Amino acid sequence: MALSGLQIYKLLPQTNCKECGFPTCLAFAMKLAQKGTELDKCPYVSDDARTALDAASAPPIKLATIGAGDRAFGVGNETVMYRHEKTFVHQPGLVVRVKSDAADLADVAARVAGYSVERVGMTLTLDGLAVEDAGGRAAAYAAAVAAARAAAPGLPLVLMSADAAAIDAALAGGAAAEKPLIHAATAANWQAMAEVAKKHACPLVIKVADGDLDGLLELSGQVRGAGVEDLVLDPGATTLAGELAAATQLRRLALKKGARELGYPLVAVAAAPTWQAELVRATQAVGKYAGVIILDHFEPAMLYSLLTLRQNIYTDPQKPIQMEPKLYEIGSPTADSPVLITTNFSLTYFSVAGEVEGAGIPTWLLVADSDGQSVLTGWAAGKFDAEKIAKTVKGSGIENMVGHKKLVIPGHVAGLSGEVEEELPEWKIMVGPRDAVDIPNYIKNVWGA
Amino acid sequence: MTPVEIPVEKWSGAVREVTLGSSYGGGTRGSTVSVGGETALPFLGFEGAMPHRPAIAVEVQDMHPADWSAELQAAWGDAMDDAATWAQKAVEAGADLIALKLRSCHPDQGDGSCEDAVRTVERVLAAVPVPLIVYGPGSADKDNEVLVAVAEKTKGEQLALGLCEDKNYRTIVAAALGNGHAVIAQTPIDVNLAKQLNILISDMGLPLERVLMDPNTGALGYGLEYTYSVMERLRLAALMGDSMTQQPMICTAGEEAWRQKEGRAEGDVPEAWGALAERGVAWEISTATTLLESGADILVLRHPASVSAMRDALDDLTKGA
Amino acid sequence: MSDTSTTKPRTAMASITFTPSGETIEVPKGTSLLDAAIFCELDVPAPCAGQGRCGRCRVRVASGEVERRSNAGMTTDEILEGWAVACQTYAGEGAIEIDVPERKKEKVRPHGHAIAEPESLPITCDYLQNPAVRTFSLAIDPPTLEDQTSDFDRLCRALTQQHGIEGVRAELPMLRRLGKDLRMANWKVSVTLEMRDWVYGSYLPPRLIRIYPDAFPHASMGLAVDLGTTSVVAYLVDFHTGRVVDSASAYNKQIACGDDVISRIIYAKREKGLERLHKLAVETINDLLEELQVRNGIELYEIHEITVAGNTTMTHLLLGVDPRFLREAPYIPTLSAAPKLVAGELGLSANMLARVHILPSVGSYVGGDITAGVISSGMYATDKLTLFIDIGTNGEMVLGNKEWLLSCACSAGPAFEGGGVRHGMRASPGAIEDVFIDDATLEPTFRTIDNAPAVGICGSGLIDLLGELFLTGIVDKSGHIDRNAPTQRVRVFDGVPEYVVCWAGEGGAQKDITLTESDVTGLLRAKAAIYAGFEVLCASVGVDLADVEQIFIGGAFGQYLNVEKAIRIGLLPDQPVERFHFLGNTSALGAFAALLCVSARLEVNDVASKMTYLELSADNTFMDEYTSALFLPHTDLIGFPSVSAALAARGSGNGNGG
Repeated sequence: MALSGLQIYKLLPQTNCKECGFPTCLAFAMKLAQKGTELDKCPYVSDDARTALDAASAPPIKLATIGAGDRAFGVGNETVMYRHEKTFVHQPGLVVRVKSDAADLADVAARVAGYSVERVGMTLTLDGLAVEDAGGRAAAYAAAVAAARAAAPGLPLVLMSADAAAIDAALAGGAAAEKPLIHAATAANWQAMAEVAKKHACPLVIKVADGDLDGLLELSGQVRGAGVEDLVLDPGATTLAGELAAATQLRRLALKKGARELGYPLVAVAAAPTWQAELVRATQAVGKYAGVIILDHFEPAMLYSLLTLRQNIYTDPQKPIQMEPKLYEIGSPTADSPVLITTNFSLTYFSVAGEVEGAGIPTWLLVADSDGQSVLTGWAAGKFDAEKIAKTVKGSGIENMVGHKKLVIPGHVAGLSGEVEEELPEWKIMVGPRDAVDIPNYIKNVWGA
Repeated sequence: MTPVEIPVEKWSGAVREVTLGSSYGGGTRGSTVSVGGETALPFLGFEGAMPHRPAIAVEVQDMHPADWSAELQAAWGDAMDDAATWAQKAVEAGADLIALKLRSCHPDQGDGSCEDAVRTVERVLAAVPVPLIVYGPGSADKDNEVLVAVAEKTKGEQLALGLCEDKNYRTIVAAALGNGHAVIAQTPIDVNLAKQLNILISDMGLPLERVLMDPNTGALGYGLEYTYSVMERLRLAALMGDSMTQQPMICTAGEEAWRQKEGRAEGDVPEAWGALAERGVAWEISTATTLLESGADILVLRHPASVSAMRDALDDLTKGA
Repeated sequence: MSDTSTTKPRTAMASITFTPSGETIEVPKGTSLLDAAIFCELDVPAPCAGQGRCGRCRVRVASGEVERRSNAGMTTDEILEGWAVACQTYAGEGAIEIDVPERKKEKVRPHGHAIAEPESLPITCDYLQNPAVRTFSLAIDPPTLEDQTSDFDRLCRALTQQHGIEGVRAELPMLRRLGKDLRMANWKVSVTLEMRDWVYGSYLPPRLIRIYPDAFPHASMGLAVDLGTTSVVAYLVDFHTGRVVDSASAYNKQIACGDDVISRIIYAKREKGLERLHKLAVETINDLLEELQVRNGIELYEIHEITVAGNTTMTHLLLGVDPRFLREAPYIPTLSAAPKLVAGELGLSANMLARVHILPSVGSYVGGDITAGVISSGMYATDKLTLFIDIGTNGEMVLGNKEWLLSCACSAGPAFEGGGVRHGMRASPGAIEDVFIDDATLEPTFRTIDNAPAVGICGSGLIDLLGELFLTGIVDKSGHIDRNAPTQRVRVFDGVPEYVVCWAGEGGAQKDITLTESDVTGLLRAKAAIYAGFEVLCASVGVDLADVEQIFIGGAFGQYLNVEKAIRIGLLPDQPVERFHFLGNTSALGAFAALLCVSARLEVNDVASKMTYLELSADNTFMDEYTSALFLPHTDLIGFPSVSAALAARGSGNGNGG
């Protein structure tokens, strides 16, 4: 169980020596409780205290790393049930599944590896390819895996087969170096699978059917007994309700009951007959605790939705998304379109952009770098002042885009208008409304008047 | 091997039950819709009940919404020219409720009269057997005027009237109170503001069994995570016994998803976004599913394909419950 | 403005003459009238520091060309008469004549009540054993041709022989006059020593402050100053007895440059702004010194030591250090402990060699006034979980006990001091300080300070009035005034509803005195900021507000706070009344302790280094708690059982939610 700042403080020397870089032991303890610093920074911590703190800080859900190299991703280490408590840390890997005998296997592999979208200044990509054994000889499976690797070098893999020999062949064929995730050991094949996973030092999924957690616990004990520690769980539920229940129960067991045997990340096979149904399953899996999500459809609209959702859910609620500070074109603005300025807090941007876009008013929207703070907070902290506004305007090249020189500043910073006018003597500074909803009206009735 | 001891949360509170539509005492509905009543987090049948499956409402407007996405226009076609026809098609598509927006009454959209509004509501009531949610045009003064007229003429129908906001709720609450309707209380993505409006409405004497709360939806990619967390917190507070958070939640997933660029832009977007035909629906489905998982009791949707997908999802989510 | 480079095209200039002072200044076209007035050091009030929000910097344009960007709050008649908001009005070209209205000197005692004078030390500290300043009588052997020891060594020798004091230091100004002073006194002198210098926690040997002929009567006094953002209080302390002899208080003269610290920081950015703020702080203290000197028949050079407790911004401004980085993330003060200073360096009119100790601060918004408060409250020495609150323009608070201390500050704004409220005022005669509203008739009964005709409402009156309006249902839980309340006292003025607490003519009042819905919003924000501070402070260490065993209320405003009424509006937590203790002006008391007693100074240092500062602007939970508290009494009614009971008893429209 995690300790509170005050509990940690009681274990510290309480000398306020400042050598850790914090002004007081309590400040250090509070930061430790938030996992924002390392205990090692305290040169005087006692051994007893270290033991107590280490025990408390061991992650209740073990980290599993899938793949090797630049595109490898880690899942697990989560510490909360709800993202408002503290951020979710390791976003689930999105993996597209392809059958080993599919004619377009190499093509799909390349498309998965190459898929990417930009969103709020970040490049979002898919995480891996699952190659599912279509049945048949181990050598055929190994050849398919080799083909996938050739088509998508460095892309993490999930090897899906009930046949340990097929997995072994694929790994022995070179895939082992890339540390793919093996899917899956079951009650029927666990000895052989554990053997293969151990031999090649790859993470292993243990799988049961229909959310059978008793079976999962038993299997976990068996596989760990056989020497495999890097596990991922597949509770194998078949309905949305069953998946939700199993995922919730496993997370609670790990976090609240300290059940180490089940303290591993989850894999959700979200595959469904239609992409719409698959999107629903994967959407649930993103919010509800999956570490790896396996999809069957390479449908760009679905993938874009899921990548966006994952970015949303895994945003640190304490550190909101920031927009890239620059000039945004809403609609297709012309030389006569209004110029608005706001801050780079994403919600602020979205409400302003949403209103003008919704009202069909082509607009130049300047976004100033306020460190992701809203207009009022940014102003109060000195991050959205006349100087910043002037700098944003000058750096944007907006004066070459419009025929007029009218700049609308948010109503909340009406008091800055004089100063902005001094900084931007060629511009006419207009004070807009306080709330974004009033912008369309303002532009129609005041701006143009 | 000892069996796993499933951790079950013991909640002391429950979500209030709200029923829309009535078939007696002035009500003419063929079916009613009850929502709420949950004693556990959404769809966790192993620890509590979800006596009513979340309902799906389809948004219908009283004038052809020319500014809607081309994809939506194509889906509903000419039905959009007439609210009653549109509502019928929506019910065929699987709507449990119709969410009728009296947009033509807005001063900027024709400034339709209260009489027109009442007539539209009556026509839709006559055309479909399901309960109605009625939204004013979205301009405070006109909302009050129109909703009061509608509330009086439909006494006993047990409509949900919206929107009550902190700056404008008294008139609508009074109209609901006097005519047996429910209200929708909307607040901007904040737990405390949601609670506060519930308290203020309750202080006016409207039973909380007639209040839905709308925590204000941010679409996927446009603040959805804020809504998601606010709804989770509201629902957790409700289950922990905080009386003023125990209202069923209604989310306008369709409106939010479809007004974003992803729901509208046809060409001129990256290929990785996919085609608009799939993208708009995908955006709506993903937004709606996320909101369901965080506690939505009524989803207001726009596209028939999303309605169908969410009906399937609800079947699957309530299986075995 | 002194740029005389020749390459630039000549800017159009204006020549502004201010009347009645007659000052004239040449400024470039486009200079604001406020900037010009500041440059001429004219007394133009600017409570919002020239952001165009308060409209108080009014001047009259008698002639000449100006550009008005805003006429905040003025009537058409006033504009026609030439009145202008100086910070929003800019010079055109040519000659301009500006009339600066003379300000009526406000003759008020801050808070309208006598200041409690402490009889003895607030904390356990034996100042006689460990005094800060002592005076000794010396009979020194005069030098002879045989005994050629230098004057200073001779003095030291006498101190060692007669009083056992060793290693005395003297500074150059003292040495320059030493020879003359010793001989004038005929070698019989009294010397005043600072016994142990207090610098960064280490001791320095005694330092010579003054030499005086022993034959003359002489006093040895100290001054303990609470340098508040709004008011400044000084205790005159007799070092012979360790007693407070007298006290004086005045408004901080910097008020003309902004009501709150943020406004002053903004003001300091203006040309000559910092210089002016520094001067005004020094002037304010010097005026108090003068007042105390005259009243007590002492000489200014008999003031041998000064301690100053103030918030971090005040400390920076007193020292003339630019405070701008206090306001910019990550909110770092330039200094937390001040260097060794003497009165002469700062321009304080005490003995020029008198040490000036500035009590150390913890963070940008937790200053020496709070460390002083912690010392004087004794919370740093108790086992009990204690919350210390100093409510002023900023709400500062400290949670903890002898093991740990955690502090934070939240910007409440000036509402509780009457600022930003239409008929708000500071506590002075005529301020409504106590209100009751009848449930049935909705008619108020009120009391004013000194029973003078009502002129406005002071902080305690505002809290009272808001509580009554709430309990009677005139104001709802979200702070809206019910326009349909069955009383003539609720009316709508300029679109904003308001409650008339006193009609013009009632008890001699000159005008209607009202509380508007906007005023209520301001008060709600102020109380919400403070209450949210409590919640975040407790939550950050995982304790509940109900676990707090004692709540100490300090600060200048705290003395006039009625706990029950403050709970009613949700300013204070709904805890049993016996947990609350009023400590008076803890900032001044802490300065007093540090003045007398060296051990108290060390404790202040210790407290400052041990206290952990929680930066609320880095904390999202603050906004959450703030919104939650932005309701009457609070969104979580469960936490306010006594208010729920009062609501039920009064049966107003503000039911218990159902």
